[in-house]
Amino acid sequence: MKRGSVSAIINLVEPWEALEPLTSERPVGMLPFGGRYRLLDFPLSSAINAGIQNVMVTSPRSGRSVSDHLRSGRDWNLDTIRGGLFMYPYNDLKLVAPEKKAKLIHHYYDNSILFLKRSHSEYSVVMSTRNVGNIDLKALLRYHEERDNPVTTVYKSVDPNQLTPKNTILQLTDKGMATAVIPTAKAKLAKTAKKAAKNMDIYLMSTVDLIEILDEANRRGDLISLEELMKQAVIQHNANAFEYTGFQANIHDLPSYFAANMAILEEANFRALFYSSRRIYTKVKNEIPTFFAEGSQFRASLCGTGGYIEGQVDHSVIFRNVLINRGSQIKDSVIMQGTRIGAGTKVENVIIDKNVVIGPNLVLKGTPTEPLVISKGEHIFRQTEVVTSD
Amino acid sequence: MNDEMLGIILAGGQGTRLGKLTKGTAKPAVPFGGRYRIIDFTLSNCANSGVNTVGVITQYQPLELNAHIGNGSSWGLDDLNGGVTVLQPYSSSEGEKFFEGTAHAIYQNIEYIDQQNPKYLLVLSGDHIYKMDYDAMLDYHKAKKASLTVGVIPVTKQEAKRFGMMNTDETDRIIEFEEKPEHPKSDKASMGIYIFNWPTLRDYLVKSYATDKSMEDFGKNVIPSYLAHNESVYAYAFKGYWRDVGTIQSLWQANMEFLSPHNRLNIGDNNWRIYSKAQVLPPMFLTETSQVNNSMIVDSCYVAGEVDHSILSQRVSVGMGSRVVDSMVMPGATIGKNVVIDHALVGEEAVIGDDAIVKGTATDIAVVGYDEVVGVEKP
Repeated sequence: MKRGSVSAIINLVEPWEALEPLTSERPVGMLPFGGRYRLLDFPLSSAINAGIQNVMVTSPRSGRSVSDHLRSGRDWNLDTIRGGLFMYPYNDLKLVAPEKKAKLIHHYYDNSILFLKRSHSEYSVVMSTRNVGNIDLKALLRYHEERDNPVTTVYKSVDPNQLTPKNTILQLTDKGMATAVIPTAKAKLAKTAKKAAKNMDIYLMSTVDLIEILDEANRRGDLISLEELMKQAVIQHNANAFEYTGFQANIHDLPSYFAANMAILEEANFRALFYSSRRIYTKVKNEIPTFFAEGSQFRASLCGTGGYIEGQVDHSVIFRNVLINRGSQIKDSVIMQGTRIGAGTKVENVIIDKNVVIGPNLVLKGTPTEPLVISKGEHIFRQTEVVTSD
Repeated sequence: MNDEMLGIILAGGQGTRLGKLTKGTAKPAVPFGGRYRIIDFTLSNCANSGVNTVGVITQYQPLELNAHIGNGSSWGLDDLNGGVTVLQPYSSSEGEKFFEGTAHAIYQNIEYIDQQNPKYLLVLSGDHIYKMDYDAMLDYHKAKKASLTVGVIPVTKQEAKRFGMMNTDETDRIIEFEEKPEHPKSDKASMGIYIFNWPTLRDYLVKSYATDKSMEDFGKNVIPSYLAHNESVYAYAFKGYWRDVGTIQSLWQANMEFLSPHNRLNIGDNNWRIYSKAQVLPPMFLTETSQVNNSMIVDSCYVAGEVDHSILSQRVSVGMGSRVVDSMVMPGATIGKNVVIDHALVGEEAVIGDDAIVKGTATDIAVVGYDEVVGVEKP
């Protein structure tokens, strides 16, 4: 792919309510994932690995966490002379004052249009962050160029039983064209169906066409998300449907976020996601090695650097700089950066956000379908402070 | 250059005493402590001390070192008004600028130093493990109105026989220098760290190379000449953790000390971080069969076997049934199944085949070279 021929828009304005409290202070795209990444890293890395140099990231609010993570874009090689990283905050209308909202009518998509015009790119790809995967966008572009429809969508073929009502699927014709993107609940899948085309929220089209779609939406005075516009485009034009066959996890609520983290503890999934020829980039941090003390036991788990492990960890995702004290037992859990677990504390089926302190000799327990969540920065020293997820 | 002191790191030595490990790379580029290379300590000290302009003089096998240093951004040394410059020998109308000794290396790079036009020249070696504030040493240098300040570390009488020893008066002024003395008169060993008043040193070097070319080495030639000419030369005593890792034994020993949570180096101190080349790698993965004790592990390691009192660097894998004890494994090494690695240094990208045994002792460390294949058929 010639450099500069494709631009990417990564849309962080995504439904976040079902992921609270993890998303109460960060967009979905900034959710930590897999020991050292953020969800945003996956679509961003896919773009970089395809040689895309013009990337726009739209974030719902001021996005401190977004700009702190991306900074100049250097860690993704996006601090280039040509193109680069463009950030547009304040896009979530739920958080915008009514006067501001009135002013946005007919101008809501201006920033995106400007970005696309200045990119001088031939094609554009629109992505969200709720689908963890490692897609080859060069292959997607080839597929698009070989076909006639103006839009190409992406799906993963899955067992319908794995779908939740909130997942969306592509309605495919016999010839493999997508005619609509619809929620599973409305899809009327045959009971005998073995496969369903789960929507990956990735759309490729010519930049001219995308500008036209956004211009048209501005003329109508639409204030709807980019994602909705893309779904409308699929219905309007019919779309090519590209099948993605790699690892993917769909993150739309707490259980699915938890399950996605547990899924990459399967060695095959871990290798498929992180050890393909397409690397996943993230903000680099300068941490010291993780120290495993005498008597520690750390099994079937991932760990970031800067950690200090004295206790027992089994089948868990441990992020950077985590301290696990002696005699503690961590099982089937996700523990984010900077958290400290007290001696003798038992943790099972729990998601612990960043910089949490859990005192000694406590029991924190959730279930695989209803993981207990401890919010960012909480300090818990008494058993009575632990509120279970139900 | 904004600062009055320019840092020069002498990274050109071959490091022959590291044997196989420096066959294809310069000593300062040898991995240390799981995620560092030896030169990271000196580079980070510069960055932390506010020495923002640094020249790294290379000569022997510089490629890995060049790749590691890059534009210096990993150390915050990609400064608008300074930064790190890798200095390679080059040819000119006066001939080729390869060098023999430490002082000669400075002389051959005199044009670069003149470009920076520093008041003080900080000369460092790239093969020591320590944390030191060079700015404090500069304050001392200024307070003593010295022409040259030499960093010294206290050593035992036994160790003194391996070092250049500084004998001082009661004001810490150096009155005598003895190279590897049989009967040391003091405990102040030179660390190979110098602050010079640059115009003075420049005069000495230029005069020497215009005449008898005698100023090849700082220890052997420059310091004695300074003393003979009654220059004010002072010793600056450093009290912290400092290790010369120039031999297999000392490199292994310093790695084992690094493993201890009580190591005086205090690697985790956020007020004096040691930086290294930033690399994005997946997190480490320890399988159900892993058993790790008293060990340090970093990103992108895969452990299915047993690791005891050892350091694994990036991208190292340890197969099921294998046992790594009292060892340091360098980046990218692959250790197969049912392997024993005991008291060893395993080089970068080495491949240890299934059932192989690499066993040294505490006084005779086993070494596997870079890219060396042990115990499996070569393809």
